[in-house]
Amino acid sequence: MTFELSANEEATAVPASGFLAMLRSIWADRLGRIGLILLLLTAVVALLGPLVFPFNPADVGVDSSTILQPPSSAHWLGTDELGRDVFREFLAGARISLFVGIMATLISTIIGAGIGIAAGYFMGPLDTALMSATDFFLVIPALPLMIAMGAIFGQNLLIIILVIGLLSWPRTARIIRSQTLSLRQRQYVSRAKSLGASDARIIRRNVAPHVMQLIVANTILVVAGCILAEATLSFIGLGDPDRISWGSMLHFAFVSGAVGLGAWWYFLPPGLGILVVVLGFTLVGHSFERIANPRLKGH
Amino acid sequence: MSLLDVRDLRVSYGSPDGDVHAVDGVSLSIDAGEFVGLAGESGCGKTTMAMAIPQLLPRNARISSGSVLFDGVDLSGLDEQAMRAYRWKDISVVFQGALNALNPVQSVGSQIAEPIRVHDSSVSSAQADDRMRELLEAVGIPSRRAHDYPHQFSGGMRQRVMIAMALACRPRLVIADEPITALDVMTQAQIIDLLQGLSERYNLAMLLISHDLSVLAQTCDRVAVMYAGKMAETGPSQDVFGESNGQAKARHPYTQRLLRAYPNIHRERVFIDGIPGSPPDLSRPQQGCRFEPRCDVAMGHCASIEPELITLESRHLAACHLLENDRSGVQS
Amino acid sequence: MPPLLRRFLVLCASIFAILTFNFFLFHIIPGDPIRLIARSQRLSPEQVAKLREAYGLDGSIFTQYWTYLKNLAHGDLGYSFALHENVADVVGRALLNTLILLTVSTTVVVLLGIVIGVFAGSRHGSKSDSATVVTSLVFWSLPTFWVGMLLVFIFGVWFGGLPISGITTPNAEYQNYFQYIADIARHLILPTLTLALVDIAFFVIITRTSLIEVMSEDYMLTARGKGLSRRTMVWKHATRNALLPVVTASVLYISALVAGAIQVEVVFSWPGMGLLTYNSVLARDYPTLEACFLIISVAVLVANFVADLVYRRLDPRVAVA
Repeated sequence: MTFELSANEEATAVPASGFLAMLRSIWADRLGRIGLILLLLTAVVALLGPLVFPFNPADVGVDSSTILQPPSSAHWLGTDELGRDVFREFLAGARISLFVGIMATLISTIIGAGIGIAAGYFMGPLDTALMSATDFFLVIPALPLMIAMGAIFGQNLLIIILVIGLLSWPRTARIIRSQTLSLRQRQYVSRAKSLGASDARIIRRNVAPHVMQLIVANTILVVAGCILAEATLSFIGLGDPDRISWGSMLHFAFVSGAVGLGAWWYFLPPGLGILVVVLGFTLVGHSFERIANPRLKGH
Repeated sequence: MSLLDVRDLRVSYGSPDGDVHAVDGVSLSIDAGEFVGLAGESGCGKTTMAMAIPQLLPRNARISSGSVLFDGVDLSGLDEQAMRAYRWKDISVVFQGALNALNPVQSVGSQIAEPIRVHDSSVSSAQADDRMRELLEAVGIPSRRAHDYPHQFSGGMRQRVMIAMALACRPRLVIADEPITALDVMTQAQIIDLLQGLSERYNLAMLLISHDLSVLAQTCDRVAVMYAGKMAETGPSQDVFGESNGQAKARHPYTQRLLRAYPNIHRERVFIDGIPGSPPDLSRPQQGCRFEPRCDVAMGHCASIEPELITLESRHLAACHLLENDRSGVQS
Repeated sequence: MPPLLRRFLVLCASIFAILTFNFFLFHIIPGDPIRLIARSQRLSPEQVAKLREAYGLDGSIFTQYWTYLKNLAHGDLGYSFALHENVADVVGRALLNTLILLTVSTTVVVLLGIVIGVFAGSRHGSKSDSATVVTSLVFWSLPTFWVGMLLVFIFGVWFGGLPISGITTPNAEYQNYFQYIADIARHLILPTLTLALVDIAFFVIITRTSLIEVMSEDYMLTARGKGLSRRTMVWKHATRNALLPVVTASVLYISALVAGAIQVEVVFSWPGMGLLTYNSVLARDYPTLEACFLIISVAVLVANFVADLVYRRLDPRVAVA
């Protein structure tokens, strides 16, 4: 026997036109617009940059006179401690920084939303157990744990993505859970259950769409955090040694003494790059939050 | 001279859909020591009217015209700093909903004592403390509870705290905005008795706002009934709310319907004789009498010409075209 | 059970959970922890055998766990072959240095952040409010270590005058204790500035939002009705209430604070727990790394507990005992 809830009770999934409308509202918001521009800039740099100006890590300088050279017509952003072109290196680093950040966020969001919805929907002992675990991970300081895990499990891209992702889900889980809880109390859920709807169906059709907006808002902010985390881990020296990211550029700039030597062309661009992309996501995320939840006071 | 003389006050709120004229030409006067009631449905403008007196309106509200004369001084022309001198010292407010109106992280005693020293720096903290305890006792709260916090009191006791607080600087006028609405009937009676007693004892003028007509009838010397931002009827409470020979003495159709809406627990009739329809949209008020759409005795010109307040007997006025012929020669 | 006692028991349980998690992470997951150490430090067979015994590796997991707990109870955090010292001694010194840095910088960050947040919140809608919010968002998006590098560059290379590494000037001689303190203070300036530039933003945003919400509460209208000056209203009535959510949020800050401190210590070579962690990763000094992780985690748990106590003190609606 199939059943359908009445039209005004059934929650609709966020339609594609809703996404465009959301984009338009973010664009209309001044800070949101700046964020979108910054993100667009980053996307162009990351996607097109290495295509137009490819970077060859083996293209080291011939002798010591080529290392840490200031910008010139040959090298627009000068050279690094191995005599390589910083500008091309910068463009190449963009991709990894973004890739790790976004992948880690995906893992974090899937786990976090899954746990949050499960805990909020089923409540009871499952909720208590999940929330105890979540609180435990919330409390453990993230960076030391990432460092410990990186040191033990090794340094490759996959591990770093996993480590960052696994330590970002608690916040998402908590937010999603409280939203799910309040949705759960609403009448149409208990009505659907009494009509015999399975939990999976209810979650899919009634709970998930409403929570979706919250998930998206939170996800955007989590990306910012993950990108910063990757940068920090790479700076500490736990990045993948075979890949260039902005964080690892800064790591080598630091350990090679480029800072003390005043090689600003080497350490300013990667940092600015990180700033631009993190700020972009932060502005868009806050703007989205404001628009999706106008009841939010204080904005 | 009256203590408070509000003349032809107009207050409007700015909103994205146009200005809402919450108070549209209302006059009210209160003499020293007088207990006046302000009645009306929700949204009729009585709270706006009351908050306009100590200039406590929200940011998007403006007094567009009229004056609020207190002791001859027009308060509407004063800036915030000048107004502060009047607040609490001359005019204080007992707000609705005491739990939210009291600071949750400050002890009750300190909240009561605070305005005393703010308005009179010559008072020492010990003296302020003594007066605070006096006030607590006067409202029926043991003074040893001065160090407790608002959440530790029941609703009725919190309202008493609000009243004690309102009396801290010995004001001449106390505005009580729906002080008993959120309380149970027994507590309501206690608080009303308290307010009456305090008003007599300290010779306070009081403006009591309520949609509960029975309370107003019981306690007030005079009452004013507002409808949709305008004054409908005002006069001594026994004239406006009283009965003679089983008939209500109220003259305005709205007041009459309001009184009829109250079920009498002694009589048989069980069904509520409410007033059909709902109050008008105050951003687009109609030309004539605002009550006309819901009035069952409206005449032809009621919809196009606004009725003025007509003096009926001594100090009894009402705004209705039906009463044109009852206009008395007595000035009030 | 009084809430305070219950909270304390939760703290103890959490510490125990961290100890176990730490054991799991450093002793079980790597398989053979001795192999890890031996490989990176090049130990002799006798040393390896002694280690095996000290770790109780001849026995089952439970024996190892019990040995681990026993050692901890005695304050034995193992031996660092890279540093040739007991880990406990190394960590003890580093911890003190980190505490000095954190005490100073947290005070600056929290006080300034709250004050600026209250200023911005009380001027909600004004230009200075918007400017404050935007500035805060920008600064919060900065990587702390990069800000440190910039400051090293500006003050080490361009202007000079401020020490850019260490906790004291090398080979300095002091005539009195005061000079020693002054030297440390000078070395504290740039690390503290780095942390402040990034972290103040957190408190500004949280405090501002909280204050704006509080200002719209009914009791603020009462305060205004009482004829209180705007300054009294904002700083005495509103701020007391606005601080409550800020204390709650500061629990989230602790994690960010630790991350920031690690980065700052690395950039400025401040000899604290952060630098120790960094160096032990570079040298693959697992016993030290393990101890660092453990101490830092326990410290965070204790800090959370203290924040909870502070909250209970501030909010009379929450029972203390």
